[in-house]
Amino acid sequence: MGFKGVYLAGVIFHLLLVLTVSCRDTFVVLSKGHTIFPSNFDSSWREAENLTTAVIGQDLPKSNPLRQGLGAYLNAAGIEAGYGFFAPHVPGTYKLVFELHYHDGRIEYETPSVNTSSAGLHLVSLLDFIGQVEDGVVREGMIKFLVYAAWRKHHDVSMIRAVFGTVDFPTAREFERGGRESYQILYAYDVTFEPKPVPKHQR
Amino acid sequence: MQAAWKRVIDFFFPIQSDEWLTILRIGLAIQVLLYCLSMRSDWTYLLAGTGRGLISRDLSEATLSGESSFIPRLGWLVKIGSHFGLSEAVILDGAWLCLVCAACLLVVGLFSRTAAISTWFFHLCAVKSGGLLAYGMDNFTTIGLFYLMLSPLPDKCSVDYKFRNVGLKNPQLHGLFRRVLQVHLCIIYFFGGLAKCAGPGWWNGNSLWRALTNTPFNIISPEILVKWKDLFPVVGISVWLIEIGYPFLIWSKRTRNIWLICIIVMHVAIGLTMGMYLFALVMIVLNVAAFGPRWEFARVKETFRFLRFRTGF
Repeated sequence: MGFKGVYLAGVIFHLLLVLTVSCRDTFVVLSKGHTIFPSNFDSSWREAENLTTAVIGQDLPKSNPLRQGLGAYLNAAGIEAGYGFFAPHVPGTYKLVFELHYHDGRIEYETPSVNTSSAGLHLVSLLDFIGQVEDGVVREGMIKFLVYAAWRKHHDVSMIRAVFGTVDFPTAREFERGGRESYQILYAYDVTFEPKPVPKHQR
Repeated sequence: MQAAWKRVIDFFFPIQSDEWLTILRIGLAIQVLLYCLSMRSDWTYLLAGTGRGLISRDLSEATLSGESSFIPRLGWLVKIGSHFGLSEAVILDGAWLCLVCAACLLVVGLFSRTAAISTWFFHLCAVKSGGLLAYGMDNFTTIGLFYLMLSPLPDKCSVDYKFRNVGLKNPQLHGLFRRVLQVHLCIIYFFGGLAKCAGPGWWNGNSLWRALTNTPFNIISPEILVKWKDLFPVVGISVWLIEIGYPFLIWSKRTRNIWLICIIVMHVAIGLTMGMYLFALVMIVLNVAAFGPRWEFARVKETFRFLRFRTGF
């Protein structure tokens, strides 16, 4: 055996983890349906997903040392997620629009922004993440974080309405026939702000 | 039994030169440098804690703790810094600077191992603390840096080898680590292709159209794209065929170069048409390091020698 055996054991363990995580994420994708496979396979995919989730210790209690250790290793190696990018289909883009209401009745519109296109890709990931959150309270909380970031740039607003929706682009054929992108509102949240006290010397 | 064991050992421990490691080291270091430069103006805004950034870093780190409390994060550094009276902004800027310095050392191969570990650590901290903002490129960079950190550094082109007389490691270890990267890439492409192939949109071209027209990937105007709509089904099917075929056709000497060129062309196209330049770069670096043929490395070296001769250096 010698040093080769030790290395080999480590490598096989690592590659099995990569394989298991990849299988799990593929099963997640397939179990959601809308694939070329018959829909009566969906429950089988779900069972396979549960099995692979168990293999990587994700169904253990959060405080379990095995789950903690495996979780740390998977994240440290960058292998905690599968590779089904843009699959099985490309979803619409999520969009967040802030409606800024000022005390004087003015209304302005703004979207969350960053300085570079590279950071823009990260912002898109964030909106995708928010769009996929199923828990309404968590989603609202996350959007309010973004509202707060917008408010820091516009201290004089009385209310910000955050409108979260999807942008759907027509298919190539529809586009040819004159179809254009549409914005579908999914959620809207109003956040009101107290007017800032005006200093005495400015009254 | 012994024959099977020998075959396994022969597969995982081929004798390998260190050229692949040079490509991986320099490629990933450039990748991290470009990542840092492209994120500089948004770094603090994206990674600051509650009440100072776009979305709270604390929120990302709380989500991360749900997976494991041992995953490196910027919050650890901020906590340590606060004991010394350093503000969060200073720590975040310091982390950015450390990442840049570590990547610079990695480019030239000075203190290769320390530089590789530091680059992996600071990059992982940034990616995990901004976990809600992360996408595929971050994951692939982490994968590459993880392998680089464990790989038998230094390589012949590094300053460590040339000027600090640090010896090269066992060529079979080079073989092992390159093999792991190769197998990992095969898994990545196979499952990526499989998931795409399951969606009807990748058969009729709709998914490709959507990928190219969705914001912020809409670099090319849809008016131009729509003229090529009849090609979309062919290109869509080609994408998942190339990906699924990767683990089967990349190993044979006959098909390796063709498949490698196909996959690199695909990533260049993704970079150019969707604006995902860093994603394209990291995938090309990983592929060339894993499967780049020796003559490619030799040719690059020859070109450098020629340029040095012409420029008089």
